[in-house]
Amino acid sequence: MREETAVITDCDIRTAYGRGLACCWEGLWEGRTAIRPCTRFDTGHFPSRMAAVVDGIGYGGRSSLAARMLIPLLESSKPLVPCDAVPVLASTTGEIDLLEKNVLEGTGDAAESRLDVFLEKVKAAAGIKGGGFVVSGACASSSAALGFAAGLIQNGKHDCVLVAAVDAVTEFVFSGFSSLMALDPEPAKPFDRQRAGLSLGDGAGFILLMSCSRAQREGRAILGEISGWAMTADANHMTGPSRDGDGLKRAIQKALDRACVSDGDIGVISSHGTGTVYNDSMEMKAYTAVFGRPVPLYSIKGAVGHTMGAAGLIETAIALRVLRERVIPATIGLRDADPEAKNWVSSEKRKLEKSVVLLNNSGFGGVNAALVLRQPYAERQ
Amino acid sequence: MLKRRGWIKENSCGCSGKGREWRYTDLRSLCVQLLADSVLAHPIDNFGRFNRESRLIVLSSALALYDAGIVYGRDRKQDIGIVGTSTDGSLSSNLDYFRDYASCGRTLGRGNLFIYTLASSPLAESSIHFGLQGPLVFLRYADDPEERMLAEAEFMIRNGDASALLAIVFDSQKADCHYLSGGMP
Repeated sequence: MREETAVITDCDIRTAYGRGLACCWEGLWEGRTAIRPCTRFDTGHFPSRMAAVVDGIGYGGRSSLAARMLIPLLESSKPLVPCDAVPVLASTTGEIDLLEKNVLEGTGDAAESRLDVFLEKVKAAAGIKGGGFVVSGACASSSAALGFAAGLIQNGKHDCVLVAAVDAVTEFVFSGFSSLMALDPEPAKPFDRQRAGLSLGDGAGFILLMSCSRAQREGRAILGEISGWAMTADANHMTGPSRDGDGLKRAIQKALDRACVSDGDIGVISSHGTGTVYNDSMEMKAYTAVFGRPVPLYSIKGAVGHTMGAAGLIETAIALRVLRERVIPATIGLRDADPEAKNWVSSEKRKLEKSVVLLNNSGFGGVNAALVLRQPYAERQ
Repeated sequence: MLKRRGWIKENSCGCSGKGREWRYTDLRSLCVQLLADSVLAHPIDNFGRFNRESRLIVLSSALALYDAGIVYGRDRKQDIGIVGTSTDGSLSSNLDYFRDYASCGRTLGRGNLFIYTLASSPLAESSIHFGLQGPLVFLRYADDPEERMLAEAEFMIRNGDASALLAIVFDSQKADCHYLSGGMP
């Protein structure tokens, strides 16, 4: 079996900060949150009104919320995306507002909200003719998709994969998370002693992966490498994470093994860090079990909210910037670190000392995904 | 590659390697029968709360594991992954959740319906019952979805993502569960 390095050659994201990685990084740099009271639909009946919603994208448009966030990014990138790229779509609910419209107004076809239907729109926007596939693994969907993409490239099955990810703050998901009492009445406070739940966020983006040899042949910029990945399940509970963090611990260890790096090589952890009591505690138990001593850790969910199936991709894009700038962003929303997270997480920016990022996401059903990201080989020399 | 298979249709179910078949009238009574025949090691917690796809997936998983001779128990977790595909994903559960929410005045949804609005949720129910700790993900290929998903499952084993996998093709009427392993169980 041929072994190739899976490298990232292009990416773009849209969050509640606006369009582009630069404005997201700027928001994180300035330490301001994009979470505020949501006015996209009536939130008056819910325990929390907070969400990180993209300005100017609301109900009543000609296409779905998810399409209006993601499709323009792909259309702009069309000249850079080879038509032989394998398209992969990661999402949890995709164009679910089409189903909402069908139920509430009796118009349209609810089946149009299926993820495979959306995949066809993604392909058309990116100018890709090949088949492609959808990956849906709860809130680990896009980190899982990036792992699948890296596997296809590393083993020589394909040399170019486009991973697109999107999820929108809709009445559907907002009411659902509210029913589970999962939303913090204030903006989310990951790893804080007073954390009380998550805040939902809009998120969309894409990452173009190539084999290193093809990227070099085509003279592409190499932004980073995905050198390790793994998925595991807790096999424990539908909505609650494993109390001891064992599932995430196994995912991290497998991803480190695949990347041929040790726990001592990790410079920073891009955590899932939702702000729920149980998730953040579970993560800290997993990190403590793997590392045994504090490693710098951050979460961006107090800034852009929990972007659900898009979270892993957006966090990967941010992690590439962390590697380039050699600065670890502050965890926005953090005021008083939980004792489990003290000396790991910080409300201040920090210097990145080592050039490997561990990135994790977990989701309903006990899904865990871990990625190991590295600087481009040339910059490590 | 070791391959075994369990399947369930509207009124019957079975496993291919052992050549056994069962007839049934409802899924709850089938659970009792499969428990008596030691296909299920213990009762399925919360079976009454499951959506239909979850019930079919858990039972087809039981039949595939039984066909492969895999022993499981409440305190025994195993490095087996679970991947699945279906045409509609979670469409019917999405409609169930949102219609209920709308009919209740759009004030609060039901958590027990919301948890099945992820395409991966029925697979997670199977992972929880059988203690399957490998990769858990829903995949939907644009072309030849069943064949491509099975090929991907084999690739995942060869690629070291899991030592064994359940690969399930399902809809709201039937489920076909393939047990794939790189070696003998």
